[in-house]
Amino acid sequence: MINSLLFGISIFVYFAAMVLYVSYLAFRSETLGKVATSCLLAGVLVEAAAMGARWYESYQLGIGRAPLTNLYESLVFFAWTIAVTYLILERKFRIKTVGAFVAPFPFLIMAYASLNPNDIQPLVPALQSNWLIAHVVTCFVGYAAFAVSFGVSALYLFKVRAEQKTGRQPGAFLGYVPASDTLDEVSYKTIAIGFPLLTIGIVTGAFWANVAWGTYWSWDPKETWSLIVWLIYAAYLHARITRGWRGTKAAILSITGFTATIFCYLGVNLILSGLHSYGGQ
Amino acid sequence: MPPQQSEKARKTDFVDRIWGFFTSLKLVIVLLLILAVLSIAGTIIQQNKPLHEYYRFYKPETVALFNKLGLFDMYHSWWFVTCLALLALNLLACTMDRYAPIIRGLRKRDLILDEKLEKSLHLKDKMKYALPLETVEKSFLAAVGKVFTGKPLITQQDDGSRHFFFEKGKYSRLAFFFTHLSVLLIFIGALIGSFFGYKGYVNIFEGEAISQVETRAGGRENFDFTVRCNSFRADFYSSGAPKDYQSDLSVLQDGKEVLRKTIRVNDPLTYQGITFYQSSYGTLPDRVQLEVRGQDGALRGVVDAPFNQKIAVPGSNELVEVADYQDHFHLPDGSEGGTAVGINIYPEQGAPAGLWLPISHPDYDKMRQAPHYFLVKDIKLKKYTGLQVNKDPGEVTVWVGSLLLIGGIMAAFFISHKKLWVCLRKDKKGRVELTVGGTTNKNRTAFSREMTDIIQSLREVS
Repeated sequence: MINSLLFGISIFVYFAAMVLYVSYLAFRSETLGKVATSCLLAGVLVEAAAMGARWYESYQLGIGRAPLTNLYESLVFFAWTIAVTYLILERKFRIKTVGAFVAPFPFLIMAYASLNPNDIQPLVPALQSNWLIAHVVTCFVGYAAFAVSFGVSALYLFKVRAEQKTGRQPGAFLGYVPASDTLDEVSYKTIAIGFPLLTIGIVTGAFWANVAWGTYWSWDPKETWSLIVWLIYAAYLHARITRGWRGTKAAILSITGFTATIFCYLGVNLILSGLHSYGGQ
Repeated sequence: MPPQQSEKARKTDFVDRIWGFFTSLKLVIVLLLILAVLSIAGTIIQQNKPLHEYYRFYKPETVALFNKLGLFDMYHSWWFVTCLALLALNLLACTMDRYAPIIRGLRKRDLILDEKLEKSLHLKDKMKYALPLETVEKSFLAAVGKVFTGKPLITQQDDGSRHFFFEKGKYSRLAFFFTHLSVLLIFIGALIGSFFGYKGYVNIFEGEAISQVETRAGGRENFDFTVRCNSFRADFYSSGAPKDYQSDLSVLQDGKEVLRKTIRVNDPLTYQGITFYQSSYGTLPDRVQLEVRGQDGALRGVVDAPFNQKIAVPGSNELVEVADYQDHFHLPDGSEGGTAVGINIYPEQGAPAGLWLPISHPDYDKMRQAPHYFLVKDIKLKKYTGLQVNKDPGEVTVWVGSLLLIGGIMAAFFISHKKLWVCLRKDKKGRVELTVGGTTNKNRTAFSREMTDIIQSLREVS
């Protein structure tokens, strides 16, 4: 099927983008940087075409549903939203060197996705709802923002150590990375985008659960972990906005938040059981 | 100091300290993180299982300890609820604490761009035009109007200067109340639901009706109406995966149908604040004909047993009851035994015994070596639909709270309160002098870009 072929191509394009971003950081050639960005953009376009094809092909199979309903589909969508979120931020904040730390995500996630069964299955009754798209899209764009913030925060920790060691004149490799203050700011701005989206994702999920099962909150592991993620980022935002926590402390909270996000997304499905267990099938 | 006064002072000091504790940011951050960490426990230890199931996973002393700590229903345990209550108090105290400053920020308007104000602004500029005052005023209003769409407040000073005050996004200052009170509202909605609502479950056979439900808390709730299941249908994909479950339901009041709806998994029925959700389905025997035979195979009699009724067994003092049914019975050797009827036998003395009768193995019960054995001669099945029943008067409050929370967060992050002042006056040479200055309460980088654009377009006024 065409969607599998296109997804296959996008894995290679994402791989190339990752290599290009790392080379850009190593060789610092502007041309290389431009090629890296174009390559990631190409990956995004190919993958968008793949998802579109999958959607279309589901109609041809007589199933007709959005490609957002099992582990494979959520993984490829996650990879796509990370790439898109990063490209927007790269344009907005001019932080191309960060790409070396973010571009591996789409590739690794796509590679992991390809290990999972990817046939188009029809929807079980509980998933046949208009809330599906709103719930999944908001959650995953939120997750993607947290992923980018994680990459930036990790880079911040390296950068700040380099700055402290060499007295504001860091070594060759990290010297090209934006100043730690900029990284700190970008990390915060990204979370400020992810947090409202996660909130909408949780609320739409609760509303949907209420329509399908008659309870908007049942403390099932997925719900609880999404709340844990929400609480961590809520703590981050309070600490950052009102207590002026910046730098290392904020970066560590951001990294903790993303670790919880990954557990909420994959850990719950693969390790714990609950209402979302079909995601792991 | 007289003792009375020092007592009073100490009291105020104490109250201040309590107030300080509840309004401190440290408390918020610590509470949020504690709630996050505590919540993890309930996702690792499965919640609300029957106690005997835990013995399969944990040692008996661990089960006893966890049970005492409330870890098997931890989200309702006293310590978790205490944390939530502390968070609620903290939210309330912070809202009260911030009320006055926020309202002040809303009201405060320096209408005049005087020297003192000008000094306090970071983004400002001055320019002069050899144009009539009216022309400058018209052109600059057009330029500023692109960003600040509202009408300015204009003040004419005695010295002939005209001051224009613009502002935008003023009410974003209220976002604080929306984000914090909305969480309280969600808590209130949840409390209303748990005190005045209930959740239950009921099976209705096709063609039959119910007017009460067994609640999860173990009680019974009666409706002022009856719900009849006209029919149930399950559709499957060719792969065998479920496609659709539909129950055709009628609501009857005084025997008359007042509402009819086919419910599906994402499409429940609501009547008088009570909602019925498609939850499960199944088949149970309506009536079963059982043959009773002696060990020699001789027929002793036939029992016609309706579901869940104890019937006398001919030729003995026993009672028999048809209690269960399954489509795929597993024989003792693990092989498929087909459909089977579960019966309970009540001897004259002693405990009742439960056993299965696979329909396609008529001699199965003979193995029990009892004086007589049972076999299924005929069975009439009945389909039922399983409905989740929910009454939750707090639901609306929860959704209003959720919407306010989302709106509040959006406003808090993406809308800022921007202010802009422009002063026009004539200098000694008769030229028009324009002073412009602006400020914002957040997102300064974006605002300084906007200000640069405004100043640029003011320079181009001609």
